[in-house]
Amino acid sequence: MATKGMHVVVATDGSKQSLAAAKHLMSFADPEKIAEISVVGVISPYASVAFADDISGRDDPDQSFRDAANDAVATVAGVLEGWGPKVSKKVRSGSPANEIVKAATAVGAGLVVVASGGRGLSETILLGSTAQRVQHSAPCPVLVVRPAKRKKRK
Amino acid sequence: MSDSAVPKAEPESELRRSITGRLLFFYVLGDVLGSGIYVLIGAVAGEVGGAFWAAFAVGVTVAAFTGLAYAELATKYPRAAGASLYVNKAFGSRALTFLTTVLYLSATFAAAGSLAAGFARYFGQIWSLPPALLIMIVFIILLAIVNYVGITESVVINMAMTIVEVTGLVIVLLIGAIYVGQGKADFTVLTNFSSGDNVVFAIIAGVALAFFAMTGFENAANVAEETIDPSRNFPRALIGGMAAAGVIYVLVSMSAALVVPVDTLASSDAALLEVIRAGILPISVSVMVLVFAIIAMVAITNTTLVQVVTQSRILYGMAREDVVPAAFAKVHPTRRSPVVALVFSAVVVIALLVAGDLLNRIGLQVDIVERLAAVTVVLLLVVYAGVIVACLKLRGSDETSDTFRAPTALLLVGLVGNVVLLYYVISTDPGSLIWCAGLVAVGFVLFVAELALGKRDRPAGVRRGEPIDGKKDH
Repeated sequence: MATKGMHVVVATDGSKQSLAAAKHLMSFADPEKIAEISVVGVISPYASVAFADDISGRDDPDQSFRDAANDAVATVAGVLEGWGPKVSKKVRSGSPANEIVKAATAVGAGLVVVASGGRGLSETILLGSTAQRVQHSAPCPVLVVRPAKRKKRK
Repeated sequence: MSDSAVPKAEPESELRRSITGRLLFFYVLGDVLGSGIYVLIGAVAGEVGGAFWAAFAVGVTVAAFTGLAYAELATKYPRAAGASLYVNKAFGSRALTFLTTVLYLSATFAAAGSLAAGFARYFGQIWSLPPALLIMIVFIILLAIVNYVGITESVVINMAMTIVEVTGLVIVLLIGAIYVGQGKADFTVLTNFSSGDNVVFAIIAGVALAFFAMTGFENAANVAEETIDPSRNFPRALIGGMAAAGVIYVLVSMSAALVVPVDTLASSDAALLEVIRAGILPISVSVMVLVFAIIAMVAITNTTLVQVVTQSRILYGMAREDVVPAAFAKVHPTRRSPVVALVFSAVVVIALLVAGDLLNRIGLQVDIVERLAAVTVVLLLVVYAGVIVACLKLRGSDETSDTFRAPTALLLVGLVGNVVLLYYVISTDPGSLIWCAGLVAVGFVLFVAELALGKRDRPAGVRRGEPIDGKKDH
């Protein structure tokens, strides 16, 4: 069907896992078949920490939550740039899962890439994660990148 | 995928904000309404007498003038950091900024404690078996978990809780209206003061408590950055929300005073329930009491949740500024919530509640709700006064055509009001200062902990807190 390739939405919550998810996409997907990638970060204004950026390496206390979101989105976009597809950056605001789905719908995405850190108790018992909620209502296939098994730390 | 599905000309980084003026209005209203009227109306009635609506009116007015300063500063500096940011911008003094932050943090601890105790009182009206202290502790722990999970992020839940809160107060108004309609109301009660000789003092005493009912509006600064068209929406929603809360407070006070004898209100643990118990509505009283107690608990929960969010947010910000240990800035890898900050806040609030319980056990009668409310008010009055001064000092700097400008005269009235109230609360209740000192000490202990332990994560040559100037400006 597609002649120009699909539009992929890569979501980031500023976590290392979301950066790993973007890299995972690059590890197997064919850049020829992707027309554009939108990196989407979502700020949750009512949350304790509206956005936490663990990946840009910037540690500026004077930074606002929106700055943090912009930095994280730019970091993920930086990884994807040069791979082939056009990369665009989007920062939205609201409930994360909801906004990711909206962003995917708005661009007519063919794939959404999200990270899920969930192995622990909280993911199973407490309501489920953003990734789960995205899967439920995304307009397209969803790639949930789970963390690689690591040796137990701590 | 066909191209037609793609909206054209998306900007490279679209600045999508989500808080509309209406959402912000409901956020302010919900935050303000839950904090006092359900918990403290009996105490205010006891201080003032039948005219206690006047105390709410004055309290709302003083708070709204402070709200104007917040509106001006939030449109100037939309970063979600509130009082400490404003004081920092105005005075550039690290010590003053730290003090403001700690005072504000302490106020949210005390407020959460008072609200938890108020929650337990309404809970006790439905099911009196579990000890109140247990209810308070479970309540605080549950709220921390709710925050960890991230339910508070939901705009819909926020809105729904606010609607429930308003519904509860509408029920009280309805009862008052029916009572008046039946011709049973004695309006002279509305001009009665309990201490006949000094009306002004009676009102100030009530205002000091009623002020607690208005606190929470400053949390609107949390979402300033995500507000659409802030210069227009922020002042309107903030002041509008406060004014709406004020009108509701005054009407609810009048309604309660007309329907229930003032001494019954004053001696009740859950005063608004007395209005329901008057049995004016043609519905079974026991059903209505149950419904209303649940509404009251939802209202208190909503406001306490915002306090808990604010606590962990302040600690997160402080950790980033390097004034408390870095662990407070760690967010959970997937939940993105500051786990250490949430746990710590819950522990501090529970410690307050346990301390109150212990004091009662050894025979020192402490009304934990009123005491912690007074502590909150003392701490917040200092912060509010600081914010107004900061607002006046920052006049002329960082102003754009979009900055909301608050009327200077009103700010000055607000400042005087804050200082008068502060003086009054401290002079009548010096004991609250001990609690304030205890809470502020917690902040300093964290600072010392950071001094002792926090050297590792700072590059050589960078002084404590220096990154503010060091990183951004160069």
